[in-house]
This record gives sequence, structure tokens and C-alpha cells, in this order.
Amino acid sequence: MNAEAKKPTKVKVESAPKKKKKIASLEKKKARIGYLFVLPFIIGLVIVYLPMIYQSISYSFQSMTTIQGGGVKITPVGWANYQNAIMVDPTFTQTLIEGMGRIIFDVPAIVIFSLFMAILLNQDMAGRGLFRAIFFIPVIISTGLITDIDAHNILMQSAGQAIDTGTETNTVTQIVNVMDIEMLFANMKVGSGLVTYVADLVNDIFNIVNRSGVQMLIFLAGLQSISPAIYESCEIDGATGWETFWKITFPMISPMILVNAIYTIIDALTRSDNTVMAYIDTVYNSPGGNTLSAAMSWMYFLLVILLIAVVSGVISAYVFYQKRDT
Amino acid sequence: MDAVKKAPKVTKESKNKIKVEFEGQLSAWERFKLKVFSMYFLKNVVVRICTYILLVGISYIIIYPFISKIATSIMSADDFVDATVMLISKHPTLETYRAIIVDNRYFEAMFNTAVLSASTAVIQMFITCLIAYGFAKFKFRGNKLLFMFVILTMVVPHSTLKLAMFMKFRYFDIFGIFNFLGGGVFESVRLIKFTELSLTNTYWPFIILSLTGLAFKNGLFIFMLRQFFNGVPDELEESAYIDGAGTLRTFVQIILPLSVPMLVTVFMFAFSWQWTDKFYIDTFFTTTGPYTLRQIALKIPSSLTDDVQYAGGTMYTAAITNTNGILIIAPLVFIYCFAQKSLVQGIERSGITG
Repeated sequence: MNAEAKKPTKVKVESAPKKKKKIASLEKKKARIGYLFVLPFIIGLVIVYLPMIYQSISYSFQSMTTIQGGGVKITPVGWANYQNAIMVDPTFTQTLIEGMGRIIFDVPAIVIFSLFMAILLNQDMAGRGLFRAIFFIPVIISTGLITDIDAHNILMQSAGQAIDTGTETNTVTQIVNVMDIEMLFANMKVGSGLVTYVADLVNDIFNIVNRSGVQMLIFLAGLQSISPAIYESCEIDGATGWETFWKITFPMISPMILVNAIYTIIDALTRSDNTVMAYIDTVYNSPGGNTLSAAMSWMYFLLVILLIAVVSGVISAYVFYQKRDT
Repeated sequence: MDAVKKAPKVTKESKNKIKVEFEGQLSAWERFKLKVFSMYFLKNVVVRICTYILLVGISYIIIYPFISKIATSIMSADDFVDATVMLISKHPTLETYRAIIVDNRYFEAMFNTAVLSASTAVIQMFITCLIAYGFAKFKFRGNKLLFMFVILTMVVPHSTLKLAMFMKFRYFDIFGIFNFLGGGVFESVRLIKFTELSLTNTYWPFIILSLTGLAFKNGLFIFMLRQFFNGVPDELEESAYIDGAGTLRTFVQIILPLSVPMLVTVFMFAFSWQWTDKFYIDTFFTTTGPYTLRQIALKIPSSLTDDVQYAGGTMYTAAITNTNGILIIAPLVFIYCFAQKSLVQGIERSGITG
């Protein structure tokens, strides 16, 4: 009796993995098609991108001279390019430090500003579409050529300054000037570091607004993914707007803060009005400077990667990830 | 005095709105008073006003440069000497526009740039979509690792690779195969003397980079689209498979129509970033390359070079380059007006969340 009862169970056990295997192979078949979709990227990675990275790194250890009759002569020079960049070049180190300081200064400003604006633009109000359209203009337009034209341009610089410091040079007629802000903060008894920071921000508002377009979009997308039911239950429980922001919106949006901080750093790296990149570009165009510029940009890039690592390490300690139901 | 109350009178005002009237209702004025003279309403109004002030103020910051550019673009040389002229010209003229369009061969540059931007943007749109779909929906081996490489392409700025990129396309070669076939061999001094297949000054570098999903910020596009596809329920595709559609057919007939706003977003980004691109054109085109908008960006039209010499000349030069800028972005703004709605929609749907 016992032996008979065992038999069918045994068969079942044997057949079960077989069935599973069949499903797995079907999935594998489907997965293989995945390679087909990703194929363009794989080809590009192997044929164009990785060789390019390898070459760029190896160029930074070489020197390159154009020889008569066309062609380029390449000689390995070891760490000489890096040494030249740090020790010989008079302005590079200073530009580098200033550039890094600039990024550290800009990142919190842009992230906070874009979060603030995203929350404003997420509200239900008349003319929201119009405001959104206006706010996204810089994303489309404020790139490459236009920043280049503006950078070479007295009129636009004065326009930027006019916006930054108020249209009148006369401090009496200004609505708000830096002095006012400093006075305000001095009365509030906060540290002078914060005061100068905020004052600098106000002076730099033109720049900040023009650079926070994509970040605003990312925050908007994040805000819209927060379930309205959470806000409703908050309201029923009697939470104020302030509490709702810090207890609901802020934790829910915190992954976006990480994304945006990193995006801002990378964006600052690739912008054409970046002083370090501009300097590297002039080095690139100077005779014999192209491999030196490769060394410089790798150094700059490594510093920025370090910064990204630190920033993401610090922020991700505070990031709240909502557990998925699935 | 009987308890029978009249049923509330319901009238249909419009499709989605009804009006309910019942007995003992407060008059319209009373209701209005109750609504308006309360702290809640007051608070809302104040918050609204503050919001609008802020939004209008920041919109002004964004728009002011354009107003100023347009205003100075119709000024004549005299206006820059006149200190009383701020934004409104005393001698309005369209001479600057005429000079740029005629002398700088604006339409030729625009046509070249349009061909370049449109072709690369269309290619990038489809290729990044394909790649992102592959990453989102197929769990093949190495998916995570390959996606790390996508992040890498996003993080390493192309300006770091400028020289390597130039050399890659100046002496285009795949693992030395062309070099080998052409009979050129690496010499011991590493004298580069390939059978020169130079792709500089052609559109090929742009097309190759777009075809392989490596062009400007394509990593970001792949990331955005992947997030979007992750949000598309698997059941949708499964039902298509059950109905007998293949993977490709499911992609073309089910997924692509779904993701139109996203595709428009990617297209707009790719198109406008290529349109105003400086870096890649500087890298791949020399002065003898195709005549694009990059070349006219800082160029003073030949018929105006005399006027620039006089007093206020620097201002006038700035005004001319600004007018160049206006003419460069005018087609973009035109397209943006049409695509704006689905752009915003696409961005909202991208759900770039965790």
C-alpha cells in the first residue's frame, strides 16, 4: 500500500523539473531576441566607444606631432602630460580648483531651485500649460551655440547682469538688492556663510534658472508619480502643508534628488560655458596641446567622478525608497 | 406646513455639470459671502498671488533675453550711440536680418543643419527606443552589465574623448581591418599612415554615432525610455504574443504607438541639441566642411562690417550676433510651439522614478 502510494508522487517529482525546464528555454529564447534589440549598442560599444576610451587614455600618455606630408607621429611620454598639466601649466590647477568649487556651489542651488519650481508647476492652476512651456524653453534652446553666442556678447552679459542685480544700477530704485538680503539674514542671526551663499545665489539667478530645466522635468515626473491618495489621507489626518512636504513629498522625491544632483554635476561637466572645459579646449587648439588636453580632461573627469561618488554616497544614505507591492 | 418637501430641482447645465436647486437655499449673495469672507479663502488667494508673482518673475528672467535680443535686432547702428534708446528703437530697420540672410547665406546653412539634425534625430529616436526596449523587457545575460556601459556613456563627457573621437573618424578603421586590407601595416615608430578613410567633413560621424546610440546624451534617452517601458505592463505584450504576433511585430504595432509622446520628446531633444550643437561640429568639421549654422553663429555679414567700426560698434556687433542667434533658434521655437504639448506629456509619462 505504502509503496504504491509513493510511486505516483515520485513520478510527479520527476516531471515537475522537466516542465520548468521547458518554460526556462522559452524564456531564454525570448531573452536571446533581447540581444537583437540591444545589438546596435553592443556594436557601437565594441567598435567605436571602448576603442575611443582606450585611445583617449593612451593619448594622455603620449605626445603627438604632425609631420610634414600628412600623418601624425606619436611617441609615448609616460606621465609627462599629467606632470605638465599640474606642475608646468600656470593656470590649469587654479582653473580646476575654481571649476570644482563652482560645481559644488551650483549643485545644491540648482537642485533646490528646480524642486521648488517643480512643486509650484505641479499645482493645479490657470495658465499652468503656459508657464510650463516657458520654463522648458531653456532645455531646448539654452545649449551649445546659443550659450556660445551669449558668452561672446556684451549685450547679453549686460542683460544677464541686469536681471541678476535689478535693471537699475541705482540701488535706491531696486526692489531687492544684495544688501537688503544681507541685512535680513543678519537680523535673523544666521551664519555669514549662509548669507553670502544666498546673496550669491540671488546674483546668479539668471544662470540657475537657465540650467535647471531638465532637473525640473525630472522632479515633475517624480511628483506626478506620488499617489494622490497619500495626500488625501494626510489631509484627513489634519497635516499642514509644511508637514505634508517634509513627511510625504520630500521622502518620496528623494531618489529624484540623487538623480538630479548627479545629473547636475554631469551637465556642468559638459556645458560649453564651463571654465575648465573652455580652458581645456583652448589647450586642445594650441599647437601640440591635444594630448595634453586629453590628460587634463581625464584628470578633471576623475575629480568629478570622485565628487559624484561622494555626493551619491552622502545623499543615498538619506534616500527613501518606497517598497514596491509587486 | 406639511412635511412634504419638494424634491430638489436638477437641471443639466452642460455635459458634465448639473445644477441643483432646493428649497430653503441661501441666496447667491449669501453663498458668495460665506465663500469669500473666510480665512481659508483668504489664505488661498494670498498663496495664489505669491505663486503667480514668482512664476511671472521667473518667466520674465527666461524671456527677457529673448525680448532684448529681438529688440536690439531691429535697431540700426545709430540707436547704439543714442543713450536714450533702451529697448525700443528710434530708427527700426530690418537691415540686420537682410544682411544675415543674404550675406551669411542663412538659408543654405539652415538647410544643411536641418538635414543633419533631422536625420540624426530620427535615427537616434528609433535606435534608442530599440535599445531601451531591449534593456527593459528582455532579461538576457549581461543585461545589467551592458546597462552599466550605457551609464558609462552618459557619465564620461564627450569632450574628454574629443581627440580620440576626431582621430577615430579622421582615420576611420575597425580594429585595423581597413588598414590591413589596404596594405598599410603598423610601423615600429607608430607612424599612422592608414589607407586614409577620412570621415571628417562628412555627415558619417554623426550618423555612425547615432546608429550605435552613442551620440550626445543618448544614454539619457535610453535611460528615460527604459524607465517608460518598465512601466508598460507585461500583460500587454503577452496578449500580443498569444495572438500570434512575433517580438518585432509586437514592438512595432503595440509598443511604438504607445510611446509616441516619449518618442516626440526624444526627437525634440535630439533635434534641438543637434541643431544648436557646437562641440561635434567643431570636432568633425573643419572650415571646409558643410556650411552649417555653426559657421554663421559669430559671423558679421560682409555688408555690415563697415558700420561695426564706428562708435557703439561693439554693441552693434553684439546685436548682430544676437540676431544670428534669433535666426538660429527661430525654426526651433516654431517646432517647439507645435511639439510642446506632447513634449510635456512625454516627459511626465517618462516616470523617471527609481
